[in-house]
Order: sequence, then C-alpha cells, then structure tokens
Amino acid sequence: MLRAEELGFAYTPDRFAIRGLSFDVRPGEVFGLLGRNGAGKTTTVRVLTTLLPVTEGHGYLFGTELRHAGREQRRRLGVVLQSESLDFVSVETNLTLYAFLWGVPREVAKTRAEEMLELFELGPMRKRKPWGLSGGERRRFQVARELMHDMELLFLDEPTVGLDALTRRRILDYLAMRARGGLAIVFTTHILQEADQLCDRIGVLQGGRLRAVGPPSEIKRRYRGARAVEAEFERPLSEAERRAVGALLAARGQSLAILSDARGLLTFRATNAEDLVAELSRWAHASDVDLVRISVRETTLEEAFVTLVSEDATEGPGTPEAP
Amino acid sequence: MLRLVVRNFVATLDPITLLVMFGQPAFLIVILGTMFSQLIPSVGASGSYVAYLVPGMIASQMITGAVLAGRIFWLDRRWAMVEQIFSGPFLRAEYLAALLLTALLFSLVGVGIMVLVALPLIGLTPLSPFEGFVILGTIALGSLCFGGLLIALGGRIRSANLYFTIQSLLQYFLIFISTVYYPVTAKTPVVLRAIVYANPLTYAANTVRDGFTHSFGPSDLLGAGILAGLAAVTFCLAVLSFRTLEMGPVQ
Repeated sequence: MLRAEELGFAYTPDRFAIRGLSFDVRPGEVFGLLGRNGAGKTTTVRVLTTLLPVTEGHGYLFGTELRHAGREQRRRLGVVLQSESLDFVSVETNLTLYAFLWGVPREVAKTRAEEMLELFELGPMRKRKPWGLSGGERRRFQVARELMHDMELLFLDEPTVGLDALTRRRILDYLAMRARGGLAIVFTTHILQEADQLCDRIGVLQGGRLRAVGPPSEIKRRYRGARAVEAEFERPLSEAERRAVGALLAARGQSLAILSDARGLLTFRATNAEDLVAELSRWAHASDVDLVRISVRETTLEEAFVTLVSEDATEGPGTPEAP
Repeated sequence: MLRLVVRNFVATLDPITLLVMFGQPAFLIVILGTMFSQLIPSVGASGSYVAYLVPGMIASQMITGAVLAGRIFWLDRRWAMVEQIFSGPFLRAEYLAALLLTALLFSLVGVGIMVLVALPLIGLTPLSPFEGFVILGTIALGSLCFGGLLIALGGRIRSANLYFTIQSLLQYFLIFISTVYYPVTAKTPVVLRAIVYANPLTYAANTVRDGFTHSFGPSDLLGAGILAGLAAVTFCLAVLSFRTLEMGPVQ
C-alpha cells in the first residue's frame, strides 16, 4: 500500500530534512511516526502525500512510484495536515462542501455529515464558523471533515493536539475501528501513550532519519533502559541495610538510583531488573528482613523513546535499523 | 475543476464582501456619474459623462474579479486550504484554472450588475453579436491578465499585510491611471499619458467603450493584442509561481 525505500527529501543538496527512510504500511495497519519537534515527521507526511517531491530514494503509493503519483493515487488518500485548514463557511457546510469536492453524492454527504457531527461532538456548533471554535474543536472538525470521503490510506499529522482525554480516546477508538475495517493509517504524534494504544508498528524519527521500526512491544523491549523496581519491606530499612542494598546492586553492576524510601517501600531504577529481583530476595532472606512485595514496572513507550533518542543524541546519526 | 470553482464561490466569499466589491462601482456610477455630469459638459462620443463612465466601470469589473480570485488564493494559502486541496484529487493546474475561471465569472457578474445599474440611467443600445463577443472577450482577457498577476503575487508573498497592501495599491493605480473615469486628451501631461497607455486597463476600457458606442477601430485590435500578450505573460508568471509555491503557513 505504501512503501519507502531509502526515501529522502532535501531542501538543497546539502540540507536534507529526511533521509534514508525505509518502511512500509500494510492494509488495515496503523503505523505511527514518532519523533521530537523537527525530527521530520511532518516532512515525511508531506513527501508521502506528494505535497513535497522525493529528492532521494524511492517511495511507492499504491504501487506507483511517488515521483509519478498523482490524482488517481491521491483520490485513495485522506490527509489531515498539521496546519489548520478551513473554509469560511459554517462547520456543517464545510463538511458537505468538502464531500462535494471529493465527489461524494449529496445524500451520502448529508448522512455522513450527521454521523461526523455526532461522533466528533460538533452538533451544537454546526452553524458556527470554524475559526470561532476552540483549538481542540477545530482539530476535531478537521479530522471529521477528512472522514467525509472514502479512502484506503489515511495520514493524520498530530490529529489529537489540544484534545481532552475523553475526546482523544473516542477518536482513537473510532480510528482503531476503521483500521479493523481495512483502513491503513499513518499517524504522527507526540503523545506516546496514544501511539502505544493505537499503532501496530511505529517508526522513530530522529534528525530526519528513521532510528527504529517495529511493534511498540518490540521497541519497548529493545530500548527499555532502566526500569522502575518497587520493593516493599515489612519495615523501613535502617541506614546500614540501605547501604547494604546499594553495595549489593553496585557489585552486580547495576546503576542504583533510589527514587523513594518511605514506610518500608524502596523504589529505584535499575538497568537489569530481572536479575535484581532474585538478588534482592536472596539478600532479604539472608538479612532476616521480610520482603513483602517486589515488582518491576513495565517500560512505557515514552521511556523507550527517551532511551532511544538519548542514545542517538550521544552517538549521533547512524544507519537506520531494519524494519 | 468545476467543483473547485463552485467551492470558490460557496466557501470563500461572504455577502458583505460581495456587496462592497460590486456595490461600490454601482454606487460610483450613480453618484460619481450624476455629480461629475454637472462639472463635465461634454465628453466622449455621446457627450454624456455617465455614458462615458459606464463602459469604463464595466471594464474595471475585470479588476474586481481578479481581486476576488487573488483574495481567495491568498486566504487559501493562509488557511492551508491550498495544501489540503493539493493533497486531494486535484492537479495544481486545475486549481489555477479554477481561480482564473472564478476571476472571469466574478467579472461577468460585475458586468451584469453594472449593466443593470446603467440601464435606467443611460439606456444602453443593443449590441451586435460581434460587439458583444469582443466586449466579453476583452473582459475575459483582462480577467486572465489581472487575475494571473495577482495570483502570481499571492504565490510569492508570505505576509497578509504586504499582499493586501500591494493589491489595494495596484487596484487603485490601475483604475485611476487609466481611461476608466476620464479620457486622455492633448491637455493630459505627457508622463501621465505614457503611464495611462502602459496600463492594460486603458485598452480594455477603450475597447469596451468603443463596443458600446458601435465604433470599433484598428486601435481596439491593437488593444486586444496588447491585452492578450500581457494575459499570456501574467499567466506564465502565475504558472511559475505555482510551480515554485512554498507549502506551509503564511501570515
């Protein structure tokens, strides 16, 4: 459906925005593009939607090389751009007018407009002009408008910016439902929790290069870094016992950063948490301290992202990992 | 492409803007025509200032159409609708063609309004099919010429203040330093005369006027040629501006 092979875009021969991107998006898949500000997410979307030309490598949209892709390929796309776009008519007319532009029959457009107004909770403001809406409402309106026409591949460039948690969840659930129906979605976001929730695979962009591609679980496993460990003892540890725990971990080559130590609950981060659990249990048993509970918190996508991006920040650009 | 034209009409223009854009010249015909008639005893073929003014105001509708098309384009850039449309099933050429067609249609709407306003004042004599064709052709060429110019400018300028300032200056310059309101005579200063004849609106106004007075001559043919040449130039500029159009926010 969509394939990038060493894809790149350069403003000038020595100033590239994205370079060497290789990934693909399959039907019914939600593919997330993550990255810091200026990492190249929006440029990638613009190149893939033919708004910007390919200057390096190759890209294929529905099997057609991006350099030759035109109206017929774009007819099968939906694009919600990062920049707010609107026409100077009411919300409702915006929806039906956009459907008219896409050649959606009038009756279908009317029905769909009602569905979208309800789904995106825009009904009460249907007669208002979009520029009079709040930022979050305008974002909702933009996503709703794009869904007025049929498509096979939907690009969403930060669609949930400014949305409250409830609305965000509702939109993400709807998108997940559409993806289950076969719609492929390319999704950029800063909110890593929603990428974790929605995306089947993600690509992490850093400095215009794709640093990692894979399912969120794999990215989390590969770049999990230090994880938070919680050990709860029956009583607060004495100063000597805490030093002993510190020494024990240091001897195992663990980096120990105690986050809190209150009422017998010791929370710290360790890079090799599984080994540590066994080690700490043995120490507690030998030291006659009752260990009530010990748990390792699962790495969040945000933590993996921070680890990955921090590694890159120290190592500098390298070869992108294979998808 | 026609869908884009319909969208241009529906989406971008509010009734107040239309009232001002088309109401103002109609108002000028009535007020300016009546007031200046007292000062100007005889002008043009018929001698009546209103009869002289009306064809000029009709010709100036090509500027009104072009200004509206330029405004649509600039607002589309400002509100990212250009990108949104280009990411859809449209070609850039279609969007440009739709803007130019919008300019022409708005000009024709303006011409219709001017004729309706002028009828009770001066009573226009019926035109032959040839005269009607030449007048409409002139309006079409003028719309293309000025529309192309404003679209070319709109594609290069990234500031709303600058664009609308240039557009206003250009609009007033073109209308006032032309033969829309007054004729060029031997008493007109040479420099001013040169500028008036460098202004394509002058040729358009003269051709439309000659059409309404049934007095087409070789100078109108020359005027049409100049207008067509300039229309071709500004069209090329608009195409060039589109080809190098920078996407992204403008202010």
